Amino acid sequence: MDPTPVLEWLQRTSVAVQIRDGLYLFPVLESIHVVGLALVFGTIAILDLRLLGVASTERPVSRLMADLLKWTWAAFALTAVTGGLMFSTNAVVYFHNTFFRIKMVLLALAAVNMLVFELTARKTMAQWDASTTTPRVAKIVATLSLVIWVGVIAAGRVIGFTATRSSAPVETAPDVNFEDLLGLPK
Amino acid sequence: MKQFAHWLASTAPSVFIQEHNAWAVPAIQTVHIVGIALVMGSVLMIDLRILGLAWTDHTLRQTTSRFGPWLTGSLWLLLATGLLMVVGEPVRELVSFSFWLKMALVALGAAVAVSFQRALRRQEQSWERKAAQPSIKLLAVLTFFVWIGIIFLGRLIAYDHVWGSWSPAQRL
Repeated sequence: MDPTPVLEWLQRTSVAVQIRDGLYLFPVLESIHVVGLALVFGTIAILDLRLLGVASTERPVSRLMADLLKWTWAAFALTAVTGGLMFSTNAVVYFHNTFFRIKMVLLALAAVNMLVFELTARKTMAQWDASTTTPRVAKIVATLSLVIWVGVIAAGRVIGFTATRSSAPVETAPDVNFEDLLGLPK
Repeated sequence: MKQFAHWLASTAPSVFIQEHNAWAVPAIQTVHIVGIALVMGSVLMIDLRILGLAWTDHTLRQTTSRFGPWLTGSLWLLLATGLLMVVGEPVRELVSFSFWLKMALVALGAAVAVSFQRALRRQEQSWERKAAQPSIKLLAVLTFFVWIGIIFLGRLIAYDHVWGSWSPAQRL
């Protein structure tokens, strides 16, 4: 199935047009995306480092997960929404961008990795929850998680250099003058 | 500053990054973002502990001992990769309003983080009680938003024209 009509419809929607033509919306979405991904990776890294026995080893893994994962998911939701909105502004170009595709594959791998943890080490967690030493599979999952998420960040950053915005709005100074706005001397 | 930026752009390290910018710039930025993530994770955990929303089985001192060194270490990583970005693209960074406002907020954020850790080390007992005060909780929330502001300004360096007449790049 050729997704082109759907992608073309998506980038014609009024939301996409507003973001594309607006001066502030795209940079603000990007900034929120960075805040979200920083919190996703920042919280996941704390858990991964615990599973590897590097840090927070005095705390049971279950307590750490209870403290962390709700924030991870909330931050991930933030990145998904802002990412989707940014995608909509130039859907055809992003869809065909190699690094966008690499990023999506890496996100899928992160999900599979998480699923492996749920189906293996998580089942026996009661036995090693408070211990510094964790099962080998938990260590492998934690290492892969760190590598995959750094890959997601790297691929995401490269998208910005390889897929230029379809109609980059204003290169010149906009009709904004903070001195006039605030009544400051020029 | 404009002259300095142009001089910096002509130096050998800068020329090297410019010539290899296809991979060097995204690579440096990726390490920078990983550093940001470690800072945000650490700040979130310390602030949640102050708010009583996480790490409640640990004292404040234990929580900052766990995350303080990661926070400080990540800030050094951010300084190093940030300097590389300035060297690689001096005019873009130094001749921008976002960059200098960001630096002011970084100074504020780092000063709060360092003085908080110092104060906690000196007067451990009183701080465990103080952390329950609404004013300290408010400070924790405010500092978290300072770091979010820093992230916004970092991204806005690429869009300095949004500042209109405040952007020095518009006067070049």
